[in-house]
Amino acid sequence: MVAIRIDELTKQFEAFTALAKLSLEVEQEEFVTLLGPSGCGKTTLLKLISGFLDPTEGTIHINGKDVTRTPPEARDTALCFQSYALFPHLTVRENLEFGPRQKRISAHDRKARVDDVAEKLSLHAQMDKLPNQLSGGQQQRVSLGRALVMRPSVILFDEPLSNLDAKLRDQVRIEIRRIQKEYGLTAIYVTHDQNEALAMSDRVVVLNGGRVEQIDTPEALYHAPKTRFVADFIGDANVFSGTVQGEVQPGLWRVETAMGTYDVATSTPPKEKDVDLCWRPESAVLGDAGHTGKVINRAFQGHFTDLMIETKGVSYRVQSRATSAQEGDTVNISIPPEQLILLERTA
Amino acid sequence: MTMSKLNKVLMISLLVICTLWLVVPFTMAVLWSLVDPSQPWTADKLLPPAMSFYRWIDMWQNSSLKSALFTSYALAPSAAVLCLLLAAPTAFALGRFKFPGREVAKTLCLLPLVVPPFITSIFFSSVLFQLGFTGWRFGAILFAHAVLFLPYAIRILTVSFEQVRQEHIDAARDLGASHWARFRVAYLPALKPGIFAALLIVFIQSIEEFAIAFIVGSPSIVTIPTLLFSALGQDFVRPNAAVLSLILVVPNVILMLVLEWLLKSANPTLSSGKG
Ligand SMILES: Nc1ncnc2c1ncn2[C@@H]1O[C@H](COP(=O)(O)OP(=O)(O)OP(=O)(O)O)[C@@H](O)[C@H]1O
Ligand SMILES: [Mg+2]
Repeated sequence: MVAIRIDELTKQFEAFTALAKLSLEVEQEEFVTLLGPSGCGKTTLLKLISGFLDPTEGTIHINGKDVTRTPPEARDTALCFQSYALFPHLTVRENLEFGPRQKRISAHDRKARVDDVAEKLSLHAQMDKLPNQLSGGQQQRVSLGRALVMRPSVILFDEPLSNLDAKLRDQVRIEIRRIQKEYGLTAIYVTHDQNEALAMSDRVVVLNGGRVEQIDTPEALYHAPKTRFVADFIGDANVFSGTVQGEVQPGLWRVETAMGTYDVATSTPPKEKDVDLCWRPESAVLGDAGHTGKVINRAFQGHFTDLMIETKGVSYRVQSRATSAQEGDTVNISIPPEQLILLERTA
Repeated sequence: MTMSKLNKVLMISLLVICTLWLVVPFTMAVLWSLVDPSQPWTADKLLPPAMSFYRWIDMWQNSSLKSALFTSYALAPSAAVLCLLLAAPTAFALGRFKFPGREVAKTLCLLPLVVPPFITSIFFSSVLFQLGFTGWRFGAILFAHAVLFLPYAIRILTVSFEQVRQEHIDAARDLGASHWARFRVAYLPALKPGIFAALLIVFIQSIEEFAIAFIVGSPSIVTIPTLLFSALGQDFVRPNAAVLSLILVVPNVILMLVLEWLLKSANPTLSSGKG
């Protein structure tokens, strides 16, 4: 069942379009991440869903109900703020109880809910402390708890981990995912960290300049990016412009690039002659076949070695698990046809 | 000279100056108020030759001190509250909304303070008279005080409103809070110090204000400052003036200490988390 349906949502700030005709459906209990560079409209979309902004055009449905003009206090969403936004003069317990109080939930139920959440987030020892007496990670958990006690249909996160240090970040990330599954919550999660997005999400929405670039599972985004932006943004990618020569075998297309000719295995024939050709640094095979290149930089990274290689004046990146190539060596590189990805040329 | 020595010298000079500034006038006022009328305190004596509470008792029984006290202490808190209510909308707008010319507007709000108070008072009271605001003199003074001290209250409350964090308002709203609940949880804690400070300043200003109280109020309404000036003006009875000025200052000091304590206890911290 669809939990959130967003149709052609547009948000303009005066002449500036922050979000353009965005459509998205989120399934019940799905964890969807909004990923994109700074200023691409992630927070704007989250504020539109939670009701803090009114869309210029388009509609939002939550559980089949049109909430486009419903104010935030009446929406069945709960927001986890980047800066936590805990009420500083209230104890952890009072912070957690604030929401249920507003909903006039009986004292008994309120206590049950708060205790349940405190238990799940291991906060019971902190219940009588003020927020400024807690560590960053604990504050983060209170903020999550305050949203959870509302038992919302949809929980929204705006870069909840950005104030935590790297180690804690992994831990809280796993915790958020666990809680989301345990409560069966539908979640929309904003981040500009691709690793976070890939690790946590059922699906990722890649945004760029207020437009959707691609909506897909993390695996599909990585292995089958649709645009150059997605290929570049998710993981490392070598992207070259090329021209389609034609289909040499069924499902195998020949593409001419500055570095040489490649055969690309694809089930969807290219729409245009001008394409971008993309491959991941780790899909290159160093061996006897393929075109030659000169190693211009080598960096040992432990479980792989990072090489910068130059062919015909074009440099690109190759990651290899076992190579003895040194700087200045000449190597042969081939890329299996099924590892090559054709991207639509975008203006 | 070493640093610590320099510090010591500076500390001591500061202490001396503070003593001269605060303790000496206060002691003088206390001494003068205790001078017994049987023997005048002449300049050649260090202490008054005879001391008693005669002046205090006399002032209490034979002057309009009681009614002046009552008027002043009814006037000041009412003016403070009224002033706060009048200042709140402007301060809210100045503190919460971004609009072109906001900084200019903030400065303009302070402008009335550069005019000498007596001038403002004379013209303000003439406006009051022209508006026919003369039937209820106490009300006229109250209104005048509330309006006159608006710049202080607006300025202080503007800063307070700027301290309110939008994310606290949003968080409360997101959790389903009504307007009133939002005000209590997000605004009030940040506003509290400002509210106290504004009340205190207007209270003290109103207690000490002479010009308006004199021009609008006399002769039917007497406040402590007008009584004080008449004690000084008519026959320059310095001991009587000393009694009055002590009466004027002591409650203020107590009030300030109480508020200081309130401020400290009311406000554990305003910030939470980082960012
Ligand atoms: N109230 C506003 N008025 C005008 N422009 C705005 C407003 N809010 C956001 N914008 C603009 O809309 C664009 C998208 O902003 P948004 O906050 O959604 O970005 P974001 O993707 O969350 O970025 P970040 O990763 O930096 O948080 C930005 O260019 C921003 O300048
Ligand atoms: Mg943002």
